[in-house]
Amino acid sequence: MENNNAVVSFKNVCMYFGGVKAIDDITFEVEKGRIFGIIGPNGAGKSTLFNVLTGVYTPTSGEIYYGDTLINKLEPHVIIGKGIARTFQNIKLFNSETVLDNMKVASASHIHYNIADALLQTKAFRREEALIETDCLSILEHMGLQQYANHIAGSLPYGIQRKVEIARALCCRPDLLLLDEPAAGMNPAEVDDLNRLIVDLRDHYKLTVLVVEHQMRLVMSICAEVLVVNFGKKLAQGKPEEIKNNPDVLAAYLGKAR
Amino acid sequence: MKKKEWRNILVVLVLVAALVLVKELKLVSTSNLLILQYIGIYSILVLGINIVNGYLGIFSLAHAGFMAVGAYAAALSTRYLFTSQWMFPLALLVGGLASLCVGLLVAIPSFKSKGDYLAIITLGFSLMIQSIFMNAEFVGASRGMNNIAIYTNIYWVYGVLFVMIQVVMRFVNSKYGRNLKAIREDQVATELVSVNVRQAKTIAFALSAFLAGIAGALMCHLLGYTSPSSYGYNNIIDGLVMVYIGGVGSITGSIAGALLWQIIIQTLKDLGTWRWVVGGLLLCVVMIFMPNGIFGYQEIGTAVRGLFARLTKKHAKEDVTHGE
Repeated sequence: MENNNAVVSFKNVCMYFGGVKAIDDITFEVEKGRIFGIIGPNGAGKSTLFNVLTGVYTPTSGEIYYGDTLINKLEPHVIIGKGIARTFQNIKLFNSETVLDNMKVASASHIHYNIADALLQTKAFRREEALIETDCLSILEHMGLQQYANHIAGSLPYGIQRKVEIARALCCRPDLLLLDEPAAGMNPAEVDDLNRLIVDLRDHYKLTVLVVEHQMRLVMSICAEVLVVNFGKKLAQGKPEEIKNNPDVLAAYLGKAR
Repeated sequence: MKKKEWRNILVVLVLVAALVLVKELKLVSTSNLLILQYIGIYSILVLGINIVNGYLGIFSLAHAGFMAVGAYAAALSTRYLFTSQWMFPLALLVGGLASLCVGLLVAIPSFKSKGDYLAIITLGFSLMIQSIFMNAEFVGASRGMNNIAIYTNIYWVYGVLFVMIQVVMRFVNSKYGRNLKAIREDQVATELVSVNVRQAKTIAFALSAFLAGIAGALMCHLLGYTSPSSYGYNNIIDGLVMVYIGGVGSITGSIAGALLWQIIIQTLKDLGTWRWVVGGLLLCVVMIFMPNGIFGYQEIGTAVRGLFARLTKKHAKEDVTHGE
């Protein structure tokens, strides 16, 4: 590896669905502790990047490293267990469960009791159940969501659901957090709040954050580095200011002046 | 906590006293005693079905096959291995475990298939098991096995039911139960919050099969015979009806379903074949007005509290309007 500080590295990753090249030969690295943005027009392959990274799809070719581990053939739950967590473009909470239960499910890879412990309700069972409950509550409290702990997730307002999904992702105790359009449908004031939240979570939980987003207000203010994709190809990578003035990027977003 | 424990002990004592009265003092007729045992055995079966069809939310029709495997395995074990009565619990365990092993296999198709396709696969499984017993000479082929020792009595039925309720209650309130409910809501999201979905499904099918197997084992040692024809479409439909009347994803619902359906069937007995028409109609009514069953996704405690809250709220509203 050229860069020992890289949390994730994509090397010539391709993801083809039949003739459709959703991701075409993409290479990039994300440095530890950074907030890294991925932008691009609709259908550019941004969410597919998250899906191949979390094992939903196995890439057609190329390699994905998490730290030093090759992860592109692993199953999703194994990859998540290694310290990656994500949210979804269209919120995927367990709608009829409480917020707390949503979070407890996400703690699965950190619960070690077995079925006999559960049936006999041994000390180990009770200790671990109590422990994850405190952990989940402390995450909720840190995010200012503690009053929703016993609410049914599906009944909460949209903005709160977005935050609960981030809280649930944190229960996987990730080192790398993937946010798929966290600011979708938010007004500028809410985006500013979200910006502060993401930076705060990064610092508090020592995270590296990868964020797919359309809202430039978010990308330009908190991302240290931005990757631009278009038609599955890497268009540019660099600091937000550089990206803003890159002619290729402007052409892709605004159309080329002829 | 202490108070709750005392209450539970009291409830158990009352139930035991009731059983003793019913059995030893012959408070009910022999036929009603038999019905009581049916209710208990079907409650165990329905608890098992509910784990997969209710908590996991997969429409499976494999329970008839599981019950058959449990019944035959237990019957064979009491015939050749556990020949004295005190070994009966071992026979029950054999029935449950044999069925559990088969359940592990049936879980495999559920990894990839879902919905209607999985229903058809599990239906195929149940019918396949029936055909196997129909053709196996050493278990009497289509005549079935007769002269099975009659070991099951009402103490066994309700003792086992009590243990199974505890098992299922603890199971669904642990991470295993949480995982099943999460898979029911959104399988992709469950996998992507680090849950091993395949393992969770396998465990669910195994426990479900175990319960159905024990129900089968109790049933054949109650009736003294077992035949392949008991484990066909009728058994599949009976099981589903009890789950969906009583309530999916609920322990209370499982028992309520078994109780209600047996009572309905028995009280309508005088109608002859027409009872299926009336029973079917009742089922339609329940499904239209309570699509999740009477106790769908809730236990008796929450249901009663919810009803109470609704009633008091109504009163509160009335008070307000009166005030105006």
